[in-house]
Amino acid sequence: MVTYDDGAGGPSERIASLTGRVFSTGHKTIGLEYLWLSLASVLVGMVLSALLRANTSWPDTAIPFLARFDSSPERYAAMRLLHGSLMVFFVLTAAPQLGLGNFLLPLQIGAEEMAFPELNRLAFWLTVVSLVAMTASFFGPLDRGINVWLVSAAVFSLGALLSALNFTVTTIELRAKGMTLPRMPVTVWAWFVNAILSMLIFSVLLAGCTAVLSDRLLGSHFFSAAAFLAQQPQNLVREGSLPVLWQRLFWYFAQAEVYVAMLPCFGIITHLVATFARRPLWKERLVVLALCGVGAAGFCVWGYHMFATGMNPYAPLVFAVLASSLGIPAAVLLASWLSTLWNSRIEFSTAVLFAIGFISLFIAGGLSGLFLARHDLAHAAVSEDFVIGHFHLVMGVAATFAILAALFFWYPKLFGRRMNETLGKMHFWMTFVGVYCIFMPMHWLGLLTQSNLLPDTQRVALASAGGAIRTLVTVATIWTVAAQSLFVINFFGTLLGRRKAQENNPWSASTLEWSIACPAPEGNFGSDAPVVFRGAYELAVPSGNALLPQHLSPELLAQKIR
Amino acid sequence: MPATLQEVEVLEKRDGGGGRNRPPSGGNGGGGDDGKNQPKKRPSPSRYYTGVAIGIVSILMFFMALASAFLVRRGSIDWIPVHIPSLLWFNTVVLLASSGTLELARKRLASGDARGFRDFWLLTTALGIAFLIGQVAAWRILVGQNVYLSSNPASSFFYVFTGAHAVHLLAGVGALLYVSFRNFDLAKVTRTVAADVTSYFWHFLDALWLFLLALLYLGK
Repeated sequence: MVTYDDGAGGPSERIASLTGRVFSTGHKTIGLEYLWLSLASVLVGMVLSALLRANTSWPDTAIPFLARFDSSPERYAAMRLLHGSLMVFFVLTAAPQLGLGNFLLPLQIGAEEMAFPELNRLAFWLTVVSLVAMTASFFGPLDRGINVWLVSAAVFSLGALLSALNFTVTTIELRAKGMTLPRMPVTVWAWFVNAILSMLIFSVLLAGCTAVLSDRLLGSHFFSAAAFLAQQPQNLVREGSLPVLWQRLFWYFAQAEVYVAMLPCFGIITHLVATFARRPLWKERLVVLALCGVGAAGFCVWGYHMFATGMNPYAPLVFAVLASSLGIPAAVLLASWLSTLWNSRIEFSTAVLFAIGFISLFIAGGLSGLFLARHDLAHAAVSEDFVIGHFHLVMGVAATFAILAALFFWYPKLFGRRMNETLGKMHFWMTFVGVYCIFMPMHWLGLLTQSNLLPDTQRVALASAGGAIRTLVTVATIWTVAAQSLFVINFFGTLLGRRKAQENNPWSASTLEWSIACPAPEGNFGSDAPVVFRGAYELAVPSGNALLPQHLSPELLAQKIR
Repeated sequence: MPATLQEVEVLEKRDGGGGRNRPPSGGNGGGGDDGKNQPKKRPSPSRYYTGVAIGIVSILMFFMALASAFLVRRGSIDWIPVHIPSLLWFNTVVLLASSGTLELARKRLASGDARGFRDFWLLTTALGIAFLIGQVAAWRILVGQNVYLSSNPASSFFYVFTGAHAVHLLAGVGALLYVSFRNFDLAKVTRTVAADVTSYFWHFLDALWLFLLALLYLGK
């Protein structure tokens, strides 16, 4: 449908602007496109999760969408795979790093563009292809679907690698004059460390996918179980490692992928906490070190997913120590957030609420992670519900809260408007209550199913309690998914509304992106290349409670203070 | 203690302009086009050097993942070692020679000898293509011995290692041809930068091949 009224002129101009967008190599256009992609994926992914829960709780009820498919366990597993792939690849990986990072990283370091704009565009289209193919793999026969899924995962890896290359080089090479490493905003640090980590792990996923695909399509023998079956009785331990090999390569990627999703979120939350507390970040250097630590340790902990599948008896100890050592950077980050917030006169905007919600979820989810990181405790705790509860709290929902906080905070920079705060707060509280009602009971369910040591009578009683908890989880899921309509209304209502942002810097933030107009104009800083005079979170006077803009020169500052 | 004014004022004064003040807030969304009207100048070349270095690390990681799988898989019951065709040793010499001629070409370029540069550069490209043809011939020899990708794990690894390396080398040949035939007056980079970056990539592929060959030969 083409309408001819406002602004953009006739249809030919519109087509031109559309093709301009499709082939545009501008980092802001590409960043926004990633965000749109994520928004679509998250909506589909959420609906899928509600369907999955409904199917678990009321297996006999025919659900419209699902009725078209056979009701085999494999189909259910395929649906879980689709939910997981959409959420992990196209939301948790794409939104905070590729979406927000592409839009904001050049702005925050004072660059005009990413280092390799054409590669950036190519990476985006690879991601789109991967999204389409991965979704399509669900429809149709499952056996072929898995091949399609593997190809799309490989294509996604390729795109992620190109993006990571771009992010790394941009951060190293294109910083504005005066933007030394210690002066970089923590968000930039997080995107940077994350890009390096992605660089390393997506190669491994690509290699793993190549090998599996070659096995499935060309009949090679990287992971084949033929030898395993042939030798079963005599030498179980050695050959037992065979099917595990693919798991190793996969978890090598997948465990680090958790940190790929979380690192940019850490950066966003740290940035928001300092900006809204209006004070320097507590121990900024230590925080940056902690981010690097998360990246380094995240790269090394792949083994701890393998406790249940068998490995060298000493290996679990090593991985348990490594996994537990992730507690150190996590504790540093938490200490910094809480100390920065402590006694600050904070204005509770929606962005802040989501940031604090992130911290809460991070603590709750992180604590249950301690059980899983210990190889001895893991045996007691590894049950499906417990693990699902744990990683959804800490990775899925916490990261989503960080993305939402970032969207509320940077919406003026992205679109030149501000989202409605009242709707935003309602959305926050409904979601916050909802997610705790989903994932906390899941932990209990997980522990209930592992209660083998109890006498039979108690187990029966516990099992019957489990049914009620399951229903509660399902109802809470539907509630939470429904609550997201508030966000959708708020997001699109603001976007289509007429009210525009009045100021360039509505949050009195200090970083470079707020020194230019809202939304960020074409060419970013124009001919007047920015110069940076100080760190991202510094005060004008020791007792003050306003952060100093990074670009404000000392002379101008002296005038202002006088 | 947070930084104070004294610390800020030590910083070097910016010549002219005196820092960015807030631009007028009239920007209503369409945005100015002031970045576009200026003549496009070449971006600083250092990004390409950094880019190729980081790309190399990433490619290395890809092969390391496969190599670790190779080491784990080696010695399982269905492992039948591949007898490496002796043609591979000849191919290796060709590839090593190409690295040498590449360096000679860069020396000619640095001394301003455009013709000498082009000759050695094309020689390098020819050697690279010869290596690829040699690899295909090696595969055909193996096929002649009834050793296929799907024969056993060892042969699977052999074909995938050599194949993945050949794909990367093909990209390298593409880069060599680009440097030969691109009109650098219109490009974002100078010929020297492009030649440097290509040569780093090429030498890396050379070293990678030595590693893979050693792995396949010693690890069988």
